[in-house]
Amino acid sequence: MEVPKQNEPQESIDANESSHLDRSEYPVPDNTEKQPKRGLGFQRVVDLVTAYSFITPALIIIFLFGLFPIGYAFYMSLINWNVRKGAFIGFRNYLEIFGSWENLYWVLGGVVILIIAFIVQGRIEKAKNEFSKYSWLVFLGIAAIAGVLFSKGWSAMMETGDKSFLQSLVNTLYYALGTVPTQIIIGIVIAYLLYQNIKFKEGFRLLYFLPYITPAVTTSVIFRIIFNREAYSIANRFIKLFGMDPLKWRFESKPIMQLLGFNIEGFWAGPSLALIVIMIFGIWSFVGYNVVIFLSGLGNIPKEVYEAAEIDGATKWQLFKNITIPYLSPITFYLTLISLIGTFKAFNHIYVLKLPSAGDSVVTASVYIFERFYKFSQFGRATAMSMVLFLIILGLTFIQNKLMAERVFYG
Amino acid sequence: MANQDVLTQHIGTIRKTNPVARIIGKVMIYVVLTVGALVSLFPFFWMISQSLMTLGETLQIRWLPAAPQWENYVEAWSRARFGEYFLNSTWVTLGTIVGLLITSILAAYAFARIKFPGREVVFTLFLATMMVPESVTLIPNLFMIRGQIIPWGNWNDTFWVLTIPFIANAFSIFLLRQFFQQVPNELWDAARIDGAGHMRFLTQIVLPISTAPIVTVILFAFTGAWNAFSWPLIVSGRKWRTLMVGLYNFVSEAGTETQLLMAGAVISLIPIIILYIFTQKQFTQGIATTGLKG
Repeated sequence: MEVPKQNEPQESIDANESSHLDRSEYPVPDNTEKQPKRGLGFQRVVDLVTAYSFITPALIIIFLFGLFPIGYAFYMSLINWNVRKGAFIGFRNYLEIFGSWENLYWVLGGVVILIIAFIVQGRIEKAKNEFSKYSWLVFLGIAAIAGVLFSKGWSAMMETGDKSFLQSLVNTLYYALGTVPTQIIIGIVIAYLLYQNIKFKEGFRLLYFLPYITPAVTTSVIFRIIFNREAYSIANRFIKLFGMDPLKWRFESKPIMQLLGFNIEGFWAGPSLALIVIMIFGIWSFVGYNVVIFLSGLGNIPKEVYEAAEIDGATKWQLFKNITIPYLSPITFYLTLISLIGTFKAFNHIYVLKLPSAGDSVVTASVYIFERFYKFSQFGRATAMSMVLFLIILGLTFIQNKLMAERVFYG
Repeated sequence: MANQDVLTQHIGTIRKTNPVARIIGKVMIYVVLTVGALVSLFPFFWMISQSLMTLGETLQIRWLPAAPQWENYVEAWSRARFGEYFLNSTWVTLGTIVGLLITSILAAYAFARIKFPGREVVFTLFLATMMVPESVTLIPNLFMIRGQIIPWGNWNDTFWVLTIPFIANAFSIFLLRQFFQQVPNELWDAARIDGAGHMRFLTQIVLPISTAPIVTVILFAFTGAWNAFSWPLIVSGRKWRTLMVGLYNFVSEAGTETQLLMAGAVISLIPIIILYIFTQKQFTQGIATTGLKG
């Protein structure tokens, strides 16, 4: 492996990209501040009228189809609205999701304590004193308390609340755990390899990016055929090379651990094989996106850092581990959260890849909400669930903005 | 200077230490990258191969058709109605792009270059809509276009229902605003002296130098509109069914004629692939600049 050299012509594009990235991250000087003040109020009136007539078309559309629906969805969630509009029932739609408010408090308490554990760990580590190396023990200790609270609330919710919706959140979690770290790792490795002094760099990048820009419906339709249950399907032909018997793939609702012969029930039985097929699709289509973002991040690492480390006799692996990974950590963190939020929004490919025979095991949160209103016309309940989903996404966005400064450090 | 030379020499010796290991490393890189590229490409190869097979061949263990069945495409275009869906998608995509360009160029200009009361509030509200998942807006929007909130009739299965909700978005306004803010003030002052107003300054000075961000907006709008699925699924009927909905219905309703389905899939990819090949650099730069997760 070769460490990227300076002044390579191939790198010029990457450098270009990174300068673009920089520009968007730093505040742009606001030219309007410097506009000369006209003595008369006339110009200000003209500006006001022009400005509002310029933004009105966008304002109308964004208000009608972007802002108003948030309020209206909340309003609908307070109404007993099945097919036809019924009575105002306050938060009962929400109550039916959680079982009881007490359950929700336990779960939220667990989440808050977990965030506190995360912050405390970061603070101890940053303090750089003799306790710093035990920071992970502190984290694990507090996180264990969070886990107890959370699982107490969650199991009560599963008993008394909307089990199917909660299961769809679990499926979303499986999907997130299965795809996000895998995408990040594959993305960082491919970006790192592409960043080396190699030929056909542009060609490779074009190919890796292809699954990301092509319509998810089209590519999901192809995956439907690849992962068919017939013995001649591509997936079954592939595993036959390793001497394995044909699997049912998209049609398989059994959890993966049970397929592997373990006798486990509940959460630890893992996702169904059908959901794993959807995860494979997710990884396949999103790796290219991560590669592009990581490539622009690699362009930002000063070459001098590598050279200094090389003089000290660092091996390639040490360079990767101690320079590349820490320098990319802000981007890794950003991609992790953006992808996590993406899994809660993910819809198209899951909807196209899912089959009735895989049952509830492939229904993620956004798909469940869609079916509640599209197939069953449960508008009140569906909007309540969509608000819950919205709050989860808002929470993750908040974590992204607040904890990023707290946790991410440059080498 | 002498120190510098020693330094570069030193780096040179480190790099040259083990040529065999270096060559093996290099080969490994190409092997990994090629395997990755093959995985990326394989589904597309399979799609094209199956689209040229006979129905019987799609049910056997075959990698390539014995003789390419080009008439599959004719059949997919006419009998499976993918041609009709293709045209619907084309009109919807073009309509969305035109509408989006008009609204977002005007709004971005106002936000970037005119100071007016309420500017920050409105802009922040716009940006807030970027966080809202489609699950939240889908249901109210469905009631909206059916005329159940504002009594303007039912727009179901029309050109308008597929375009109007998408002809403005915060992302495009944000992207263009970033660029418009960088246009030097001296240009505006000069234009003012010549008696130009905002509209003339925008159309004659700002737009001609803004092709790069406008192309980026068009690219995102094109892929967004062409790839759209959940909204067209609930609001388009027989008349305005788009290509994505057509493909989905074909698998869920007919399902068996794989070769026609795959021909339809190829048809649905052609515009995106052409666009991508010609604007590859803007595509990846746009993604890297904005960090947009599609």
